[in-house]
Amino acid sequence: MVALLFILFAGMAIGCAISMVAQRNPLYGAISLIGVFISLACLYVTLAAPFIAAVQVIVYAGAIMVLVVFVIMLLNVEEEEWPTRMRSLVPIAVVLAAVLFAEAAFIIYFVQASPSTPTRNISDVGLTSSIGAGLFTTYLLPFEITSILLLMAVVGAMTLARTGGLLPPRAVVVPGHQVLARDVLDPRAVNDPEPIHARTTAEVEKILGIEGVPHVSDEDLSERSVRIL
Amino acid sequence: MTPQLSWYLALSAVLFTIGVVGVLIKRNVISMFMCIELMLNAVNLTFVAFSSFFRDVSGQLFVFIVMTVAAAEAAVGLGIIIAIFRNRESLDVDDASTLRL
Repeated sequence: MVALLFILFAGMAIGCAISMVAQRNPLYGAISLIGVFISLACLYVTLAAPFIAAVQVIVYAGAIMVLVVFVIMLLNVEEEEWPTRMRSLVPIAVVLAAVLFAEAAFIIYFVQASPSTPTRNISDVGLTSSIGAGLFTTYLLPFEITSILLLMAVVGAMTLARTGGLLPPRAVVVPGHQVLARDVLDPRAVNDPEPIHARTTAEVEKILGIEGVPHVSDEDLSERSVRIL
Repeated sequence: MTPQLSWYLALSAVLFTIGVVGVLIKRNVISMFMCIELMLNAVNLTFVAFSSFFRDVSGQLFVFIVMTVAAAEAAVGLGIIIAIFRNRESLDVDDASTLRL
């Protein structure tokens, strides 16, 4: 029974993974990747790890993939074409892949030869309480370092995403044709309802008459922010 | 017939290999990013399988930490992707072959 479930979800995971690599549209690839995550969560349940299965669905299929899909939508990603250069290396790649596959099969053969304990016996491994106890006793230091890592990620993401301060002279337009409200970009034009049609940041600056104006007022940030723009 | 440890390891190897192939053949930076996520998940599967078969909770704790790293990587990585797109108006990695932003 468990073997049938394993085959079902393993097939689903491999199928979705291949589909992700084969898709040329990143959005379809993202949806296939969600399929991989869901089937892996089901496999974790068959491995008696309910907590990891739940976190897999919440963090991966939930948070991370929402972020990825959001960025795909935001950036208006076009379909990619397959690379055409270095076609001559394909035979070498096939040979190397065969060698790698042989090595993996060799190792798996020896793992299979070693004895393994059955999972079906009653144990508390994988329950939320045992994971929590482990995180707050034996692995307290890695847990704290993880929180520092998350803090650094928050600061890094904000630094990368910021465009250099207040909107008016420093507004950045995501490339592509769009209509922008004038009074959002230019505080002098509060009573001017005429929207701005533009494709790039330079065009907006030209329309507003702020070409050459430094993009930041705080002096120490000016050079870096102009470069980011 | 119950699944053996080697079944899970083989599945993990297959998924990891698909992820490597994806990183190598894809040219779109978001697709490459998703292939890296796939590789992280393949490693997570080996951790959980070993943890379950040897009845040691440490493996699942490390899965938890790997997931945190993946979340941090997603935030920073997507920030970098947006910064690259702002500068080059393209997501093709061949267009971003210099380290200069």
